[in-house]
Amino acid sequence: MTTTAPADVPTASAPLPGDEHRRPAIGPKLAAFTFKYGLVLVLVLMIVFFAVTQPAFRTVDNFLFILQASAVVAIVGLGATVSMTVGGFDLSVGATVSLSVMVAATTMVKFAMTGTTAILFALLAGVGVGLLNAFLIVIARIPDLVATLAAMFLVNGVTLWWVNGQSVAVGMTIDGKPAPGVFTEVFEWLGSGRFLGIPASVIVSAVVFGLVVVLLNFTRWGRALYAVGGNPVAAEAVGIRVRRYRVLAYVISGLLASIGGVLLVARLGRGDVAVGDAYLLQAISAALVGYAVLGANKPNAVGTLVGAVFVATLINGLTMFNFPYYAQSFVQGALLVVALLMSYTLGPRRRR
Amino acid sequence: MIQHHTPGGLGAAESSRTAPFVEISQLSKRFGATVALRSVSFDIRKGETLGLLGANGAGKSTLIKILSGLQPATSGTVSVQGEGREFTSPNQAQQLGIVTVHQNIDDGVVFGMTVAENLMLDTLGLFQPNPFLTYRKIRRRARALLEELELELPLDLPVEQLSASDRQQVSIGRALAKSPNLLILDEPTSTLSSREAELLFGAVRDLQYRGISVLYVSHRMSEIEELCHRAVVLRNGSVVSEHQQPLDLRAVTQSILGDLASTSLGAGRQHAPGDVVMRLRGVRSGKETAPFDLEVRRGEVLGVTGLVGAGKTELLEQLAGTRPLESGVITLNGSEYKPKSVADAIAKGVVMMPEERAVQAIFPDESVSRHLSIGRMGKVSRLGFMDRARERSFAEQVIAKFAVKAAGPDAAIETLSGGNQQKALVGRWLVEQQSLVILDEPFRGVDIGARAVIATELHEYSERAAVIVASSDPEEVLEVADRVLVMVDGRIVSDSPAFEMNSEALADAMSEVQRTTTSGAPQS
Repeated sequence: MTTTAPADVPTASAPLPGDEHRRPAIGPKLAAFTFKYGLVLVLVLMIVFFAVTQPAFRTVDNFLFILQASAVVAIVGLGATVSMTVGGFDLSVGATVSLSVMVAATTMVKFAMTGTTAILFALLAGVGVGLLNAFLIVIARIPDLVATLAAMFLVNGVTLWWVNGQSVAVGMTIDGKPAPGVFTEVFEWLGSGRFLGIPASVIVSAVVFGLVVVLLNFTRWGRALYAVGGNPVAAEAVGIRVRRYRVLAYVISGLLASIGGVLLVARLGRGDVAVGDAYLLQAISAALVGYAVLGANKPNAVGTLVGAVFVATLINGLTMFNFPYYAQSFVQGALLVVALLMSYTLGPRRRR
Repeated sequence: MIQHHTPGGLGAAESSRTAPFVEISQLSKRFGATVALRSVSFDIRKGETLGLLGANGAGKSTLIKILSGLQPATSGTVSVQGEGREFTSPNQAQQLGIVTVHQNIDDGVVFGMTVAENLMLDTLGLFQPNPFLTYRKIRRRARALLEELELELPLDLPVEQLSASDRQQVSIGRALAKSPNLLILDEPTSTLSSREAELLFGAVRDLQYRGISVLYVSHRMSEIEELCHRAVVLRNGSVVSEHQQPLDLRAVTQSILGDLASTSLGAGRQHAPGDVVMRLRGVRSGKETAPFDLEVRRGEVLGVTGLVGAGKTELLEQLAGTRPLESGVITLNGSEYKPKSVADAIAKGVVMMPEERAVQAIFPDESVSRHLSIGRMGKVSRLGFMDRARERSFAEQVIAKFAVKAAGPDAAIETLSGGNQQKALVGRWLVEQQSLVILDEPFRGVDIGARAVIATELHEYSERAAVIVASSDPEEVLEVADRVLVMVDGRIVSDSPAFEMNSEALADAMSEVQRTTTSGAPQS
């Protein structure tokens, strides 16, 4: 006989009281099915319903329009997803979109540089915000949520200060003279160009989506990111450099937010103040809806894309039914609640 | 006064301490099918310090939880001053005079508040006719309390700026403010340095002087010997023995560890120690302990045993790169070895399976296969891309070799039993060539069958690499080891071939107590 039989530790067959897996009353099989396929099923049914009832909905152009409308949310949401894989949360993505919008617009309009330079500067700004977040979280050890909240205000403030709170548009007056630069061809193409009939923003978001899917699902770095989020202590114990991966996650998050900003400024054709701020909540909500897609129950690229497209489809279809634009927020909230119910209420209980 | 029976052989204690304050009778606690306590009976007398001893999982913490009102017992009674009582909340226990200072010192204090505020915490929640409370008032009351207790603490300092032992004094002060008749100290020295522990011993003697009963829970024999009038040993949820001062430490240790087989199980195994793989020179297990040398060879499983807190984990973590080297030089296969990180150690072929599986090795919701790849992703990926086929075949290899019962490589690891999880997690390191494999408490929560599989594989593997197995259970060590080290208070006190040892001899070595203090048994 040995003394290590852990009498204090209940065995798997004998859970502690109060730790029972409480399943909802609808039956475990149905719950499991809903958990896995519920959201996708709702999306498909919704598309079928709109397609049958609204002839304008079932056109290729409308389909591409929906994808175009969800492109920026999807890209920014994919960045937020990467920050979530390490167990973090990036509240500064909206501010980063705004920043890169302004950086790109100013580079071209005020400084009359090329579109390529503008893109480069915008992306560098995004990486910069990512590094700032990484510094606050990894080096200064401030919790993710509050660190990125502070970064959000800082970035917003710097952006506004820099442009004196003014929007940047072609032909605007600076010090009594008209601004020298214009939006170049690259930006015109990104804003309204097509390749093989597909809008440029859709192509860009497809490429970004593909890269994130590959990173998270098919590379060792993706494995390490999820490991850091799953159990940082265990990750450290198998030799994963936890701090480096958290830096990487926030840099990717900032970079993708700035790609979203470049697409946004190209579509708008001008640098509107604080235009990116709304993308924070939409991107985060797309990522959270994504938890419920195919029973992933964790941040994942496919889910985030579905989450972004879901909202755009819903709003597009409802608009055809003359649904008022001011109720869009309610629709988004309802979708988020349904998705969260699926992943948290119907999903397997997490042990905490 | 209520009549009570005095167990035989206890007449030595003087009359002032014979009246029981708390009598525990036939106390049992079940969690589902697991029995944590079975018919536990003993009493705690007025003014006495009673030691409560037992290995991990013996039921000590369950018992404390019941006594402090955190958990109800399944059956049995607890009488306080002769009256049977039901405890349903910590408040109720405190009203009866039972106050607990829990193991983690920082659970007892609130960071961000001053010492004065912390001392008065318990009164903040009480109803008072005057709802206004100034810091001055709090401070005045706290000062009065410290004067009464004859303690000296800086009242206005934020509690987090205090040393560990001062923070503990705050917790104890808070507890004493409730004027307890019984103070339960749950492993009070587990996070203290030896100097700080001395301060605590002084405080406990002070309690004895005031006539307060103390239930002193500890793994450390020296503390029990120094402070306690009596000691009770729990094993597998039952009281197995009671000991009087002067304590027979050998008997106490044996009683904690259980029925010891008289022969070593590893005795029959043939082994030939091979080349030295790792050589330690002047290495220490902690800052305050003496340096030592050690050689770890291929061809033998090196067992390291010692009671909890003896420094096994601290030593092994230095080898695995988890903890920086305290002092000395390590060579690995002849060249200097100074791991900068765990990744560096793994790259050099030194791998360690940590002690707490659930906390240090399990990724919630992830599959078996992913757990097997995670520490060795370079081997299952190409240019950064995961090679799923190779990953899968590796997983199948481990599952087959270690007879892991799982629905398949893609099953979530949490669907496996503890033993099967352990087989998989140990197995991932034993398929490929390493220099040194370290397993810390590999048999904790692992069934006999899985232990046998792991032991067999370790023996086979030790032909190719050095293997270290650490456990606080000498039986377990003898099950696998060819050579056994015993650690006591950070020192290696014995190093001998397993066939020369049996578990009784190991227990003797483990109970060797370093007498650092001048005072012996407590004065009565």
